[in-house]
Amino acid sequence: MSLSDFFTSLPGLYATQAFFHSLVAAAIVEIAIVAFRIASPFVRLRLLLIAIVFPVFSYPLYQLADPGRGSVYFRMSALFDSSRWINIGLPWGVPLGAVLLLVFSITALVFLAQELLPILRHTFVSRKYGPPGELREGGDASVRAALEPLPVEKPETHILEDEDPVLFSSTGKKASIYLSSGLLKVLRAEELQAALAHEIAHIMRSRRPFLLPVFFVRIVMFFNPVALVEFRRSVQEDEKICDEMAASFTKKPLELAGALRKLYLDPGPAEDAGTDGGSRVSDRIEEYSHRLNIESRIARLENRPGSPSGGDWPVFLLTLCAVIVIDYFVV
Amino acid sequence: MQRKFSNYLLFAAAIAILAGGLKIAGWLPMLTQRDLMRKYASVEDVKAELSFREIRVPSYFPQNLSWPPSTVLAQGKPFPALIMEFEQAGGKSAGLVISQSGSASFRTDGRIKIAQLKEKVGYPLKGRDATLEVGTCGNGDPCSRISWSEGNTHITVAARSTPLELIKVAESMFR
Repeated sequence: MSLSDFFTSLPGLYATQAFFHSLVAAAIVEIAIVAFRIASPFVRLRLLLIAIVFPVFSYPLYQLADPGRGSVYFRMSALFDSSRWINIGLPWGVPLGAVLLLVFSITALVFLAQELLPILRHTFVSRKYGPPGELREGGDASVRAALEPLPVEKPETHILEDEDPVLFSSTGKKASIYLSSGLLKVLRAEELQAALAHEIAHIMRSRRPFLLPVFFVRIVMFFNPVALVEFRRSVQEDEKICDEMAASFTKKPLELAGALRKLYLDPGPAEDAGTDGGSRVSDRIEEYSHRLNIESRIARLENRPGSPSGGDWPVFLLTLCAVIVIDYFVV
Repeated sequence: MQRKFSNYLLFAAAIAILAGGLKIAGWLPMLTQRDLMRKYASVEDVKAELSFREIRVPSYFPQNLSWPPSTVLAQGKPFPALIMEFEQAGGKSAGLVISQSGSASFRTDGRIKIAQLKEKVGYPLKGRDATLEVGTCGNGDPCSRISWSEGNTHITVAARSTPLELIKVAESMFR
């Protein structure tokens, strides 16, 4: 199969249009966020999901609605005809479509290595070997005291005997929060309560039935670099939503900000930071991005986060309509 | 949260700029790539600019169609393709569309579209296995289409007429 055969085949047309549709959708979502000055992570997450979910269905839906959309005449009058760019000849005799295919392949590898395999490994390891470390018998009184005033259903908590500060939740059949003995030493009582409230918010959100379909949609878009970026942005927005929920449970957003600062921003072992090497550079970029995200979350909490609610449906619907209309003319 | 009119105006303006940007981005490759699908003044121009081995033109034309083709579209890559549209005499709509392409995925259903397909049958066209489709266009007029392959070239002839006229046109494309 030649390259042009691939791009004129059904899978090729689907992949190409899904990519360009998500690119346009991401641009429109960004326009909506800026034009309407959207700060609420609930609304931002909902908008970002347009760029992730809609391109999965856009091509088959458009073709069903208008089978003539694939014809030469439609392409010639469209806003953007991707085949013109795909068929641009590069100096060494391959079309630009080969570069797009390379981008799809690299994205698929990144998705496999950084998203799918870690999830499968985590699921396999936690099912086969149980909790990742030695558990303290009988839990911890300070954790029980921190959970007591929270106005929500309390999950099980497990203390891992580990000097490093560790905190995460598992959301299987029985939701649990795992925290390390090292974490209990680092955080004050109020900060511990705020951190637990954040994990409880994650557990509550994971029970929502639409998360599983969104993840399957993410799998379908394994090749799509725009979906990769937008999905990671949506994960950051989800963290902010959980921050807002935690702040509403405890009424102490500054304590959560303090906990985040202690856990992620306080100087840790950075003796290797100045060494050279490609992998170190990528590590430092990742560390820098992570730091920026944490700082942004802290800034939100310190500037009084809004109430944890959605709203702004007119903006969502307007953005969705704009995406549907513009993407229709992108072939 | 209440949104101001200015927010909506800004959104609409930005979307308009995006649409304009897409149109320009879609047009840019046409500046550098001469062999992308574009309009040509005549079939001779296509022959001169693109390396077409053979362009099949019918020698029989129903009286209601006018020669030369009103529109000629062609491309050299990713595969060679040519579309010739012939207007109905006195009218502005295409009465006959002939397309030749190097790929079966090439679609020209736009100018003459069979809205209601009544019959789709195999038809022996001068020794070739052709597919004949008969039906009506959107306005209820008879429409028909015949397609076959000559080696690697896929040929489709569609007409706003009865299959009888269409077959005469198609048969006249063989010398």
